[in-house]
Amino acid sequence: MNAHVTRSRPLVEMINIQKSFGGVHAVEDVSIDLFPGEVVGVLGHNGAGKSCLMRILSGAMAPNAGTIRMGDEDVRFLSPQDARRQGVETIYQTLALADHLDAPSNLFLGRELKTRWGNLDDKNMMEEARRVLHRLNPNFKNLSDPISRLSGGQRQVIAIARAIYFKVKILIMDEPTAALGPAETAMVADLIKQLRSEGIGIFLISHDMHDVFDLCDRIVVMNRGRNVGGYCIEEVTKDDVLSLIIKGEMPDGWRPRNAARTPQTGLSSN
Amino acid sequence: MSVEVDRLAVPFAGVKISSDALHKLSALFTLFMLVGFFSFGNAAFLSVGNGLTVLLQTSVIGLLGIGMTLVIVTGGIDLSVGSVLALSGTVAGLAVKAGIPVPLGMAMGIAVGALCGAVNGIVVTKMRITPFVATLGMMLIARGTALQITGAAPISQLGEAFGKLGNGSLFRMIGMGSNGLPKVIFPGIPYPAILLVVVAVAVGFMLRRRSIGRHIYATGSNEEAARLSGVEVDRTKLAAYVMSGALAGLAGIVLMSRLVTAQPNEGVMYELDAIAAAVIGGASLMGGVGTVSGTMIGAFIIGVLRNGLNMAGVSAFIQQIIIGFVVIMAVYVDQLRSRR
Repeated sequence: MNAHVTRSRPLVEMINIQKSFGGVHAVEDVSIDLFPGEVVGVLGHNGAGKSCLMRILSGAMAPNAGTIRMGDEDVRFLSPQDARRQGVETIYQTLALADHLDAPSNLFLGRELKTRWGNLDDKNMMEEARRVLHRLNPNFKNLSDPISRLSGGQRQVIAIARAIYFKVKILIMDEPTAALGPAETAMVADLIKQLRSEGIGIFLISHDMHDVFDLCDRIVVMNRGRNVGGYCIEEVTKDDVLSLIIKGEMPDGWRPRNAARTPQTGLSSN
Repeated sequence: MSVEVDRLAVPFAGVKISSDALHKLSALFTLFMLVGFFSFGNAAFLSVGNGLTVLLQTSVIGLLGIGMTLVIVTGGIDLSVGSVLALSGTVAGLAVKAGIPVPLGMAMGIAVGALCGAVNGIVVTKMRITPFVATLGMMLIARGTALQITGAAPISQLGEAFGKLGNGSLFRMIGMGSNGLPKVIFPGIPYPAILLVVVAVAVGFMLRRRSIGRHIYATGSNEEAARLSGVEVDRTKLAAYVMSGALAGLAGIVLMSRLVTAQPNEGVMYELDAIAAAVIGGASLMGGVGTVSGTMIGAFIIGVLRNGLNMAGVSAFIQQIIIGFVVIMAVYVDQLRSRR
């Protein structure tokens, strides 16, 4: 299941992205792309700039320089709404849920379903929420409870449901399994595979090497704000990846694990 | 019911009662206890006339409390409402004194209130100053302006029309007594009380059924989450402050109309009564929690307490002490409830 076989045009290209806070360069001249039906692991230390890069793509943060290209157009995301309008959905590590509201309210927060008179259509939202949440977790019953009374797994399910309910083309998942038990982690893995087969492109931020090797088609490693390498998952071993994450370079005398393939750089060619 | 604080299944005749409703019921129960207690002490307490007096007295705190609830639910606080009330009332008074028709003058008063609220909102959202400090500043600015433009003197002789809103009533029935003099059969429902009901229903509807209401709760519950979900957090907060200011303006003209005098010194410490009403009604100063109906009950608890203690001849100072205790107890009970 490798997207490069199709070799279609990338869903999104982030080109020479730069972001600094005061004197600190959080993201320095990073380019990255994503193809339809591809899962790209974005790896790196805490503070390597991966979350920052993803926040720029999700519209939560504006870059100092660089362009984001979707299709033939250069896009500018000034707010999360802008990104969502282009089909970029994000599952944040913090989940970004309002604790006092119930599941349907969170699912539709910021894009509520309304009746003809512009009032909130709570009934319709509840039905839709029940439908989409049931698909992810058939045991999800207490939909009208506020989020604060739900388990970590249920919250995660709501955050995921919110991202995939609307027409998603690019999904950013920031540590989607960090708070989950084994069964729920397997559910998320299945979901990622299913979304990939539907042609959705996924950026997966994860610290879990098992997840990365299980799910990703390609990895991009960041170190101190720089993109230090992009490889197909078949080319690298866990040790190679750890070396990239920690040292920022491959071990001495590195050769692709699967030497038949040419290295696939994550750097954009233009 | 998406905004309930926390819902616990209380088996009560097979019906699930949310703990939010439970809190409201307990507050309502407290209110009835108070009414029962005071009417036991003084038969005149339970008369229609006194009931209407309580309604009239509570309408001002109620209007302020509704606006305060909106701001508190966003996670903020509005300390300026008492001063804005005075400024709006005096602006309306000065306008009417200058010959502007009463409805227009009063509309100007409300507009000034909304403007003060807008300044609060802009200072909070754009200058990133905490609501406490921002509205504390506005409290001083509005009070100072009210005193300056009037020379600290009350504006009286505003004419009968100015007093209509605060003193008039609907369905007032006057019959002829047996002695040939007019006799009030039913004193009527005071306009301020009608205004309060209309505002409470409208704002309650907005909070529950409109997306701005949902966004107000979301902003107070988790501002960052709301922002990332596409809620225009700044605009939502601004709207809450503008509404609070406008309602303070409305309360101002109601109060000044009742006195038929524009008093720049009116409304000192009213913000605290408004906060108390919201908090007794279950609003959380941490944001995300609070309802108009709860605040109404809170406002009436304060109103009934004040009125009943007055009739029992308890001094104003003791009243303050008692209300202070009530506020602390209300928050304590609320915490016990959410700890479960």
